[in-house]
Amino acid sequence: MTVDARETSESAQLQKATRDIYLPPERKKITGGDTVHISAKEFSIYYGEFEAVKRVSADILSKYVTAIIGPSGCGKSTFLRAINRMNDLIPSCHTTGALLFDGDDVYGKFTDEVLLRKKVGMVFQKPNPFPKSIFDNIAYGPRLHGVNDKKKLMEIVERSLRKAAIWDEVCDRLDKNALGLSGGQQQRLCVARTLAVEPEVLLLDEPTSALDPKATAKIEDLIQELRGSYTIMIVTHNMQQASRVSDSTMFFYEGVLVEHASTAQLFTNPKDSMTEDYITGRFS
Amino acid sequence: MSERPVHELINELSQVLFELSNKVVENLLASLYALKNQDEEGARKIRMVDDEIDVAEVNLEERCLAFLALQQPVAKDLRTIVTIIKINDDLERIGDLAVHIIDRMPEISPEMLESFGFESMGMLAGDMVKKSIEAFVSKDRILANHVIALDEDVDVLHRSVFKKVTALMKEPDSDINQLIAALSMSRYIERMADHASRIANEVIFLVTGEIARHRGGFY
Repeated sequence: MTVDARETSESAQLQKATRDIYLPPERKKITGGDTVHISAKEFSIYYGEFEAVKRVSADILSKYVTAIIGPSGCGKSTFLRAINRMNDLIPSCHTTGALLFDGDDVYGKFTDEVLLRKKVGMVFQKPNPFPKSIFDNIAYGPRLHGVNDKKKLMEIVERSLRKAAIWDEVCDRLDKNALGLSGGQQQRLCVARTLAVEPEVLLLDEPTSALDPKATAKIEDLIQELRGSYTIMIVTHNMQQASRVSDSTMFFYEGVLVEHASTAQLFTNPKDSMTEDYITGRFS
Repeated sequence: MSERPVHELINELSQVLFELSNKVVENLLASLYALKNQDEEGARKIRMVDDEIDVAEVNLEERCLAFLALQQPVAKDLRTIVTIIKINDDLERIGDLAVHIIDRMPEISPEMLESFGFESMGMLAGDMVKKSIEAFVSKDRILANHVIALDEDVDVLHRSVFKKVTALMKEPDSDINQLIAALSMSRYIERMADHASRIANEVIFLVTGEIARHRGGFY
């Protein structure tokens, strides 16, 4: 077998492994979850000369939760941000290989970035609501996409806040400034703001690292609620969080995707010794 | 690769399990010796040691549960703790079986004991327990497979005891009570070998991450 042929066969095996997600009995298998939503093929991301993400090939399954773990500087956030082209804001950043979203090249010539970011919503480490009312925060995106009917906007606001499990806490003060909410509430508001434009994918970049355990639990519960309706990708430094909320996990090290497997498999019997060392804290 | 306090703790728990296994194997061998020599004083000591084994088993399980709750281990660390908990349980059962043998001692004559060859059968089971623990300590999958294979030897001996007992029972002057005691004794030793085989399977799980039980054949 040639090296190329072997690489292709290993890649096929990896894809099969991630597609056959092994789920613990308490976690339901998702109908229609066997389709590939996002696919990276030999995908590299450079900051100038520096290759931050190195020839990553992986399939992200539709409607499941995928966690990305790895030490600081391993390229996990860079990879996440590449999916809705947030890295475009960095002038020296460029990519090679292919990143496909629903089969279309994210970095293709004719890709509409605004439409892409509507489909691929993002929530950041630190809650970042606009200094506006709760209502206006949620209505901001739909208005930008041409929805101006007040009744329609109210429907969207209520539906989004309900989906983000924060409606009961804010329904009687929608006109109040969002910055008056607690950190945990602000983060759920940011999730609601993302959901308001009806995305297909949610990218969560360390969404609970600035939150206390109670607010963290609410965000984790929310991820479980949204699982099955959206494709969710979460970058986290919290290993327990990755194992609690995700169906599959990707482990990055120095820009390389070392292992991508079902979370149950990766946290009980990882195939790569580097993954084993990292998740058990033996990393030197 | 740096070792963290958490890994020292795992090594410590493994060491406690190893010490417990020594105690269990010694008690098993002591029960065979007491049986051969009809040693009542030895039997009393065996019961006392078994009480100590029971306390040690509960103690080790509590430490493992605390470790799971406080350290939330994953991967090999998780498999090691799960394996320790399971082996701990098997060792405690082997300890109980040694006491069962002693309990049956007064019901069976030395001549009948001699004729059934329980000593060599018991030594074989004891050897399996020892080897299974060696496999755990050295994470040796090949040795674990060897232990699983040895289980069949003990099963063969148990079946031959069964045949012999049923044949003797058909004789007009047979002592049914003694024969039932002999059959029970054979059963206890066969169960000990089963536990050793289970320990070996747990070692395979520890090394490979795959549950090898009930698959038949070697892994």
